[in-house]
Amino acid sequence: MSTTAASFAPVAAPTGEPIRLAMQRLWLSGRVLPAGARLTVQHVFRSGEDKPLEVVYSFPLPRDAALRAFRITGEGFEAHSELRQTEEAVKAYEQGIADGSLSALARQYGDGVVNLTVGNIRPNETVTVHLEVLAGVELRDDGFRFRFPFTLAPAYHRQMKAAVVAEGEGEMELPPSQFGDMILPRFREDAASLHEVGFDLSVLHQLAVEEIGSPSHSIRVRQDGMAPARVALAPEKDVPNRDLVLDVRYKETAAQMFAGATGEGKRAFAAIVPSTLFGVNTEAPRRTVIVLDRSGSMQGAPIAQARKAIEACLAALSESDWFGLVAFDDQVESMSAGLLSGTRENRQKARAFLGRVDARGGTELARGFLEAARMLHGGGDVLILTDGQVAGTEQILAQARAASIRLSCLGIGSASQDRFLALLARETAGVSRFVTTRERVDLAAVDLFASIGRPVASGLKASSNVQPEPPSAVFAGTPILLFGETEEHPGAVELTWDGGRLGLPLPSGDSETGQTVRLLQGSRLITDWESRYPSEEALAPLEKRQQSRVGARLLALSQAYGLASREMSLVAVVKRAGDRADELPETRVVPVGMPQDVRFGSYFGGGTTGSFTMMAPMAAPAAAPAAGRGFRLGAALQGMITRVRLPREVEAEVSADPLVELASELEPDGGMPGRSASVRAARSVAAVLAFVAEGHTLTAGAFRSHVARLVGFLKSAGGVSDREKASIERAIEAASSGSAPRGDWLALARAPGAEWAKIEKALKA
Amino acid sequence: MNEYLTLAELAEAAGVPARTIRFYIARGLVDGPLKAGRGAAYTLEHLARLERVKRLQAEGRMLSEIGRIVGGVEAEYAAEPTAWWQHGVADDVVVWTRADMSPWRTRQVRAAIDELARFLHKERKE
Repeated sequence: MSTTAASFAPVAAPTGEPIRLAMQRLWLSGRVLPAGARLTVQHVFRSGEDKPLEVVYSFPLPRDAALRAFRITGEGFEAHSELRQTEEAVKAYEQGIADGSLSALARQYGDGVVNLTVGNIRPNETVTVHLEVLAGVELRDDGFRFRFPFTLAPAYHRQMKAAVVAEGEGEMELPPSQFGDMILPRFREDAASLHEVGFDLSVLHQLAVEEIGSPSHSIRVRQDGMAPARVALAPEKDVPNRDLVLDVRYKETAAQMFAGATGEGKRAFAAIVPSTLFGVNTEAPRRTVIVLDRSGSMQGAPIAQARKAIEACLAALSESDWFGLVAFDDQVESMSAGLLSGTRENRQKARAFLGRVDARGGTELARGFLEAARMLHGGGDVLILTDGQVAGTEQILAQARAASIRLSCLGIGSASQDRFLALLARETAGVSRFVTTRERVDLAAVDLFASIGRPVASGLKASSNVQPEPPSAVFAGTPILLFGETEEHPGAVELTWDGGRLGLPLPSGDSETGQTVRLLQGSRLITDWESRYPSEEALAPLEKRQQSRVGARLLALSQAYGLASREMSLVAVVKRAGDRADELPETRVVPVGMPQDVRFGSYFGGGTTGSFTMMAPMAAPAAAPAAGRGFRLGAALQGMITRVRLPREVEAEVSADPLVELASELEPDGGMPGRSASVRAARSVAAVLAFVAEGHTLTAGAFRSHVARLVGFLKSAGGVSDREKASIERAIEAASSGSAPRGDWLALARAPGAEWAKIEKALKA
Repeated sequence: MNEYLTLAELAEAAGVPARTIRFYIARGLVDGPLKAGRGAAYTLEHLARLERVKRLQAEGRMLSEIGRIVGGVEAEYAAEPTAWWQHGVADDVVVWTRADMSPWRTRQVRAAIDELARFLHKERKE
């Protein structure tokens, strides 16, 4: 039966009058495994109207997610959804509405946006929809990150339109020709008066857990040894203006295997194989282009942190490496026409370029990475720093695949575009991370940069029972996740790669785990195929879609796994006494909160109530690159995007991380700068120990490649005495062992002279 | 075509999904059915209104703006005056911009207009 929170009664701040919310509560529960999550999202709808109500709630799917089923409950009834082909589901829903019956439809659109529509809620009635969702997680060797969107981020599209429709409330529209009849919510600057959100989750783990934390919410954690941990929102309720982000960190790094029976003698399995089982980074020269999103929504701390992060990333390059730097909004700007070697002069050039990069304009992501592809000529890696707030992602993904470059993504933001960036990286054989603005973007960027460009394994292949295919390359810090099915008992997963092989036996497991793992495999496969389904194909009439290879594959996957996709939707019609046919319900769209780190003005800027802003020219083609003396008004107009460009002084001050500062000082030969060989060696010893003291070693931590370069420099350092050589040996040893004696190493690393005496004293302490 | 249409018939005739039509009705873009309850009916006027909404959308108007234009629930705003600047960029070309744009956008638009003016001037000289 329904469980409306009776205590929740928001009031309008200006009037003190109670606000009648069509949706009152959104509550997340379920089990989170290292291989993915099986969730139930409870939506409580209540009609305060004197006529039937139809409520539309729009939400984005998490990464690798699919809808399985829903249950709809209320006073005296309970019904379960059916999975039907989308046309049939819509027809059944509309017939239910016409008959006056309570009806519910969960339908997926492009970009993984879902419209949950519940119609014919009777006056003063409360209806609850319990929606089952399968979702993926972001894996790391030492744990995983689970992310669930409690709001929908506005997103840039060349043909989108936006307007301020009320004080602090904005509306956005996307072209129906590309997004069909998807309804977007209104975005409210202040989420305090919206529905309440919360969560209560079980976290299952095979490895001993060091820590469970959240950079997004205050949480209560109940943990008892290897039993599932219980993680719940600490306050009674929260507001829908950001994703839930949960981090689980293990005490050790090891392979994890999940398996269980699924019926007919078959067993489903999931295997998480850490990168450490494949090898370590090579020191081969690399070719990398860093692509920085300078769009308006990046303004403030994110772009300031990204600038610092890029400087630190570049310090990890040697003179044998090649790099490029691209900044994009709706226009693209490159630091240089081609790649540059990692010399001091070129790094200074990069610093000067970054100093000119302000947040402004729209997010033409594809133009950014296509410029990087041009610079790389097909060989090398691209690291993108972006909030990923774009719509029409299937088209961008198609361009990324066609560019044949490896993209790694660092997502920045409190509202999820995690699904898109995870796909962008995976579909191009890269890796992705998504951090919130409450975390250090610069540290995450340095960490990711250390692993890209130099895979620890290439040419990876798995036994034929694995689906989808594993990535071709493995990168340090990021494990691989394999799903599959076997008829053998206990069975095993076989992996081979250039120069190595690995066999992983499967555990027996239970059928609940087997069922969950199979569903997670299905949701991952559906997400992959969804990303290859362009809107023009997905919105075509049924007869045409039946000829589409992707459409047919999605339909088959939905039927095989019992999961929704754009081809199949969930519908339920509840026939009750007193249903009144043809009574038109009042349609309401549930508003959502602006993501807490995105300024309302960056999408709905400059407008007052009732003002309209055409965000970009209608049907504008991509502006052609300016050539010769050609007229560039097209490009100029493309720049007229309603996103505020703040003066630099208004941007949030970002406190510089001392290690990021230190990393950015490294010379191309890997050592610290100084006026003599002795000063350089002394400062480099202190720098190594400063990194080690904070947990960064030759193989672990975000600054591992900086430590490796410092150690490389120290190994060949000349112009030092035997006593000084002993200190150098101690520093090199510390970089391997991860243990540094106490000392003010940062100050010593920055000292203008050679402070050997102080270094020796601290090393002896 | 019958004089009266069901919602499903109206949706098919207009090429607009039924849910979208209900959404438009709730927003005042389209009138509700002629009568409520069993036998709720729509007319060719509803169809014409939907065609107009589609046309205005294709012109780049937002639903909020269309609401004002077609005189729905937001009609009280329709007479609200708006101020515009006129920029003569050449003897035979005038560009209009809204006067209430934010300063940053004004800068952007002015830059584009200046660029257009320079281009037209250069073209004429050549």
